[in-house]
Amino acid sequence: MKKLIILIIVSIIFINSCGGDEKNDDKKTVIFWHSFVSSTVPALNALIEDFEKTHPDINIEAQYIPSGDALVQKLITSIQSETAPDISWLHAHFMEDLVQADAIYKMEKFIKGPNGISEADLNDIYPALLQYASWRGTLYSMPMEATNLALLYNKDMFRAAGLDPERPPQNWDELVEYSKKLTFDKDGDGKNEQTGLFLPVYPAAGPLSGWMVWQFHPYLWQAGGYKINLAQTEVIYNDEAGIKALRLWKKIYHDLDLNVFTSDYDVAFASRNLAMAMDGPWNLPRYEEILTGMDWAFAPLPSGPEKKATIVGGEYLAIFKQSEHPEAAWAFIKWIIQPETQAKWAMTSGYLPIRRAVKEVPEFKQYLEDNPNFKVFIDQMEFGQAERPIDYGGMEIMRHIADAIEKSTVGNQDVQEALNESAKLSNKVLNEANQKHK
Amino acid sequence: MTKTEALNSNSVQKLVSLFRFSRSSRGGMHKKDGINAVFFLTPTVIIFLTFILFPVVFSFYLSFHEWNMFSNEATFVGFDNYTKMFQSEEFWSVLKNTGIFTFGTVPLNMALSLVVAIALNKKIKGKKFLRTAFFAPVIISPVAAAVIWRWIYDPNYGLLNYGISFLGVGSVNWLNDPTAAMFALIIMSVWKTFGINMVLFSAGLQGIPETYYEAAKIDGAGKWAQFWKITLPLLAPTTFFIMIMSMISSFQVFDLVYVLTSGGPLGSTKVLVFFVYEYAFKFFEMGYASAAAYVLFVILIVLTMIQVRYMKNRIQGSF
Repeated sequence: MKKLIILIIVSIIFINSCGGDEKNDDKKTVIFWHSFVSSTVPALNALIEDFEKTHPDINIEAQYIPSGDALVQKLITSIQSETAPDISWLHAHFMEDLVQADAIYKMEKFIKGPNGISEADLNDIYPALLQYASWRGTLYSMPMEATNLALLYNKDMFRAAGLDPERPPQNWDELVEYSKKLTFDKDGDGKNEQTGLFLPVYPAAGPLSGWMVWQFHPYLWQAGGYKINLAQTEVIYNDEAGIKALRLWKKIYHDLDLNVFTSDYDVAFASRNLAMAMDGPWNLPRYEEILTGMDWAFAPLPSGPEKKATIVGGEYLAIFKQSEHPEAAWAFIKWIIQPETQAKWAMTSGYLPIRRAVKEVPEFKQYLEDNPNFKVFIDQMEFGQAERPIDYGGMEIMRHIADAIEKSTVGNQDVQEALNESAKLSNKVLNEANQKHK
Repeated sequence: MTKTEALNSNSVQKLVSLFRFSRSSRGGMHKKDGINAVFFLTPTVIIFLTFILFPVVFSFYLSFHEWNMFSNEATFVGFDNYTKMFQSEEFWSVLKNTGIFTFGTVPLNMALSLVVAIALNKKIKGKKFLRTAFFAPVIISPVAAAVIWRWIYDPNYGLLNYGISFLGVGSVNWLNDPTAAMFALIIMSVWKTFGINMVLFSAGLQGIPETYYEAAKIDGAGKWAQFWKITLPLLAPTTFFIMIMSMISSFQVFDLVYVLTSGGPLGSTKVLVFFVYEYAFKFFEMGYASAAAYVLFVILIVLTMIQVRYMKNRIQGSF
């Protein structure tokens, strides 16, 4: 019995020491969930330090949550158990669920509030980013940084193949031609020692399928197509433009025997087995470190039959309704989107700024001159597009697009047939979802 | 020694009897024993209720509802999830893949583990080392194992293609060809899991008294006759147990698929639990996913019942 009493006392002490960790009351703590990779964390810590210097009453506690499914699952449990963070990183594809659960604030509340920002400030942000940050035309979050896709290429290999290293492929025809020229089987054993271009074709059911569809978007746009009509009543990626774009992928995939290309594209590029790949600015700092002794550069994506286009992405910060200090959380977000903060953040993290005014910040101007590769991405923001929103059933539709890509490349199915089959299933998802939410 | 006694000495039998409720051998229970029992059982019971019983009941409830995990209420939809599933082509193809995987893995797995167990039951050198080596894949993390196997299956540099190149067979694109990928998955899965069955078979073999073989030898039975007439029949309870357990775990395969092929290429290795995962944690259709999980549950119950029925008459004194 004595032991039992001791046990109870010990556990009471233990529980108390875990719970009551109260700091000075006047300091507001804002918990911030993010999924920045470890190489970005020092830049993030410096950012937070700067903020805390200018806002002594606010304490930002950044917590790392693995990106993707883990973040969503953690958010779900935290909302259900009322332990949601004050601010969290979001991706556009699960905004719908958070809004439906009434978990996050509309940004309007803060933008038009006492500590708001002007209309001009808001319009300075790239429209593609604001579109992602919204759900059904209402802004529910604020972009923290931007990314887009460009073409990474090896200039040495261009020279060796007799191509001009300063003139990367400008259009689809050149992309096909160059990638073929850059692919060869030196010893004639039926295996390519060097591959011209990598296309991100992954299993449609797997964890990388979203990444594949994301990178397919620019080609669809370049051909003049869209995923879905604006009224969101019908998918249209199986039209003429979609067929053209997917035919391009299929042709390159088969021309270059990409079905036996099994390495990771970045590893293959670094080990000089790959000449071109699509990639984003997040890899820029790493490449500068590891791709030494190699003449490489980033170039804008080649333009398609209709126009130039690339896909813009980013991460968005939302304020949760369970937050005890929504105003302090907003102060942090407002500070982050300032041109000066954005300039510093871009220069230290390798992410792209979210607004045009940053280009007028003197240090940033100099930085762009010194970093031509980074400038490629900044310039691309001008023709960067956002995915058209799909309010309901977006994830399933993405899966069906992934299916069409996989079937026509890996499965060698007719492009038109694969797209039509996929669109039929997507439309079914869309109709059911729209019916439900009428 | 009668046949029944021999069966009872089987270690699998001992294992099974652990789960049977039996009266305390000491006779009546003291009051203190009761308190102790409650004290020791409480953690297990709490864990059982929260992590096993509750999810089982809740997912049954969910299979008749529509719920996205975020919202606080689930909408009742009756049998909609089930009818939608039975009408979808995807579900049937996933079920087919699961079937192919199971009927490819289980016989191969059992045959291999039995052969190895018998071989290691002889007095040979390095027996302990070999047994450990064969068991090692079981404890290797599936992710690490899949990374190794991805290399083995690599069409350009892979060990397997190098090996079969001596047979004059052209290079096979193991993981990017729909037929080969399922085959690759089955091979890896057998490699990964046969060790545990080997241990169970070894235990079973050690439970067969030597006297039977001696008697058989005197009667002039050869090695084959001994195997068919003594080893196999007396191993029947073990075999039965292994068959049911392997079948259940094959139907539930997920991690190996996720890391080796991600259900690809062209969905050829997408199995039922992968389907459940995708709908639950990618599309947040918990109701639909729960319905699929319950279909899996029913399939396993039916298959197990058929096996129990069939085997009951053949194995006396067990189950």
